[in-house]
Amino acid sequence: MKAEQLFDSTVPFEERLNRVLQFQMDRNPVYRRFAETFGISPGRNYKPKEIPLLPIQAFKEASLIAEGAEARLQFRSSGTGSMDRSTHHVADAEIYHRSIRDEFFRHFSFKTHTLFCYTPGYAENKGSSLIYMLKELTEADPSGLSRFLPLGKPLTQESLKEPGKPILLFGAAFGLLDLIDFDSAPLPEGSEIVETGGMKTHRRSMSKNELRIKLSEGFETPIFNIHSEYGMCELLSQCYAIGGEWFSTPDWVDVSIRRADNPSELCMPGEEGKIGIIDLANVWSCPFLLTGDRGVMNERGEFRVLGRWNRSDLRGCNFLIDSEL
Amino acid sequence: MSENSLIYRISEKVQEWLQPDNQSLKEAIERTVRDGLFAEHDIRFQIRHLKESVTQPNLQQWAKKSGLKENSLSGQRVLALHAGNLPLVGFQDILGVLLTGATYSGKLSRKDPWILADFLNDLKNSEFSERVNYSTDPDELPKQPADAVLFAGSTDSVYEVRARLIKSRLAEVGTPFLARMAHFSIAHIDNHDADTMRDLIEAVFRYGGSGCRSVAMVVAPFSLRSEKCTFTDYVEEFWLKNPQHNKPDKSLFHRYAYNRAIGREQAWLDDFLIEESSKKPGDQFVLHWKKGGVEEFKSLVRKHRNGLQAIYSNSLIAERVDDLVIEPLSTAQKPPIWWKPDGTDIIKWLQDRVS
Repeated sequence: MKAEQLFDSTVPFEERLNRVLQFQMDRNPVYRRFAETFGISPGRNYKPKEIPLLPIQAFKEASLIAEGAEARLQFRSSGTGSMDRSTHHVADAEIYHRSIRDEFFRHFSFKTHTLFCYTPGYAENKGSSLIYMLKELTEADPSGLSRFLPLGKPLTQESLKEPGKPILLFGAAFGLLDLIDFDSAPLPEGSEIVETGGMKTHRRSMSKNELRIKLSEGFETPIFNIHSEYGMCELLSQCYAIGGEWFSTPDWVDVSIRRADNPSELCMPGEEGKIGIIDLANVWSCPFLLTGDRGVMNERGEFRVLGRWNRSDLRGCNFLIDSEL
Repeated sequence: MSENSLIYRISEKVQEWLQPDNQSLKEAIERTVRDGLFAEHDIRFQIRHLKESVTQPNLQQWAKKSGLKENSLSGQRVLALHAGNLPLVGFQDILGVLLTGATYSGKLSRKDPWILADFLNDLKNSEFSERVNYSTDPDELPKQPADAVLFAGSTDSVYEVRARLIKSRLAEVGTPFLARMAHFSIAHIDNHDADTMRDLIEAVFRYGGSGCRSVAMVVAPFSLRSEKCTFTDYVEEFWLKNPQHNKPDKSLFHRYAYNRAIGREQAWLDDFLIEESSKKPGDQFVLHWKKGGVEEFKSLVRKHRNGLQAIYSNSLIAERVDDLVIEPLSTAQKPPIWWKPDGTDIIKWLQDRVS
């Protein structure tokens, strides 16, 4: 399946979705077995909410690649043991490149900004999709000034002035806080920040709002210029929250909030659940995924990421007291 | 034993309350069943077990094991927050507190508001009247800081619960807290004889598998695939007599579909799922099955030590895996009155921590 069939926004999303579903049913035995258990049958047209979402840990426990395809790229999530890490086999790099660029350039431009990337923690992971994505983006800057920042060093006035235009500082949330702690210089006027992986931390946990305030104060950048990216090794697409905490989706992605006690059902706006994602760019692996992230949707169809889903129905004499007091 | 002894008086009180002609207990059971809180067979099972285990000799043995000094905590008040996913959870705490001479202050679970309350009512109408108070609403408990707090909760909730109790003046910053956080048990079996299988089924499926002493992982010398049919027959036999009261939500079916997708061996029993896996048990209504012998069992016990309540075997009785003693599989749902939730003897803990 080619990139243009996925990204052509003149074709209604549902039409592209059903083509991808058919492809998955034909070529992905893991997803086929999953979907068949729910009675999904080939040849019928389905709405996004009717499509069963495969738990994302399948990327840890199975090989998700369409039959007959070969992995051109391979990404691995961070983690300690090999069993704890997801592996995403990417059969068509062009789809990934297109997905990265199209959504990034919907929000940002190299005409106005230079991209600086700061990614401690990810740098050690040879298979990091974030590093790959940022490389792809820095290389797309015709000025050649976009780059990765050296780890463990503050941002200096000189380095920030060098490009001659505002900076788009893109980095792992807690790495950006490190930069502040290193006494980095404030960002030039008009600069913007994109934080990602806000919940992954080797430091104390922090709410998104606290994080945004800290970044805004630390880099002397208005809070409306602090953005977030939501992406993961298992997804070839990314979502951005511009100037706030609400993420919008690319045209080829559908995000829904699913009930944890029955992921076949959608939560109402304002109701918390597990984040479900249909990412058509994942056509060669698995596009229909239920994440382990907790989220909520607003009336406009934007979503917020609230952290990891905590299992509240654990067995045992305990775990109940929380609801008793 | 002297009739003046606290042990004698408490065991008499318990046995008297458990008499079949106790009308108020009968009504409490009926109401609990009527409210859909627990299945009658599970309540009867628990009552029968208490009748057998809360005897004078057993209380004496508990007293000896724990180094009980009767009435040593007279004048102290212990607050117990009960979580009620099985009937009469907290009974042991009540006895432990009373034996030390302390006052019991109980926040009863909204899921088990009648039966335990009936026993406490009985106590209130006895010589223990001044030493017992309880409510299902924490706001109705005496607004004075307790000298110790017992509760069950998740690791995440410990700090929050403590903070809330301090805020509502039910405890102080320095009040000793006993937090129990274990939530599953592991069993080892070395044969598939009828007795072993029946013991295993009881250990897994009683109370819908929701007790912390319930077996959530079994290590057996045969694979789930080879044993699936026989095991399922035993489960059916158990469910005929003890229909499962609590039903899983639909996410369990998603788990079944997921296992099917990734090719994991499993047995789908509609209200329960058995899967071949050595992952840490977490979710309710799931039994993890792992093919292996004694070494595999010990290795999994060590791997999943955090959150583990008890370990059982049909053959390795009283052996140890590090700090855990292997208990007979047949006692999983019938622990002796001196059993130590989360490895802590309540009497000993109170005597050591409260002065």
